[in-house]
Amino acid sequence: MSEQQPNPDDAPLEPLYTHPASPFLRTESTAPARVDLPTPAIFQSTWVTYRAQIEFGLAMLAYLMVLVGSVTVLQANPGASWRYIVAVLPVAPAAVTLWIFMRALARLDELHKRIQMQAFAFSLGATALLTFAYGFLEGVGMPHLSWTFVLPLMAILWGVGTAIFTMRYR
Amino acid sequence: MRNRLRVLRAELDWSQADLAERLGVSRQTVNAIETGKYDPSLPLAFSIARTFNRRIEEIFDSPQPAGLASTRAGL
Repeated sequence: MSEQQPNPDDAPLEPLYTHPASPFLRTESTAPARVDLPTPAIFQSTWVTYRAQIEFGLAMLAYLMVLVGSVTVLQANPGASWRYIVAVLPVAPAAVTLWIFMRALARLDELHKRIQMQAFAFSLGATALLTFAYGFLEGVGMPHLSWTFVLPLMAILWGVGTAIFTMRYR
Repeated sequence: MRNRLRVLRAELDWSQADLAERLGVSRQTVNAIETGKYDPSLPLAFSIARTFNRRIEEIFDSPQPAGLASTRAGL
């Protein structure tokens, strides 16, 4: 009984190797290597994603350093003729911070510009509401709060507003 | 405003992030336009139409406001 012929359909389309693997012979692939790499995902480095935040943080750090330096120098030289110049020095890094902030706003896309506009409007209005309300309460005996609370309050409400209006467009 | 953005995007097998990158906007913006929560500006609508190689009317469809319809009927 003769050996059955191998079914040609069972044979591999391309033999993987031209000859068995040997440590002395180089095994060559019959077909040129072709690998379908997946399309690389959009690569965004931390710098690209958080550029504005990093720049803002560095500018704030510069502001704090100049502020501490300025206060230290002024305390050591209270009567110096150049004290006005030193006292106003922290405004320079603060101006840089403002410039970075405005530039980051200008770079936002149209939806995020709208969200920020709504968040700022909310922050302005809610701060006005809260400060007036507390002002009325101060009139009838509540303890006096420093004006320096107004900016942090505004910043917190801006953050709250950004979260609210971002959710609205989700 | 109704739009066919999601369908057109699916035809090309693009993710929201792919389309956002091509349009130069954020992924959230593409999502907000698709879900009809945000109507794009005219420049962005044109850029969407150009990206899909279609006319704006083939992508966006606004139901005619009742006021406008009655005005036309009155004239």
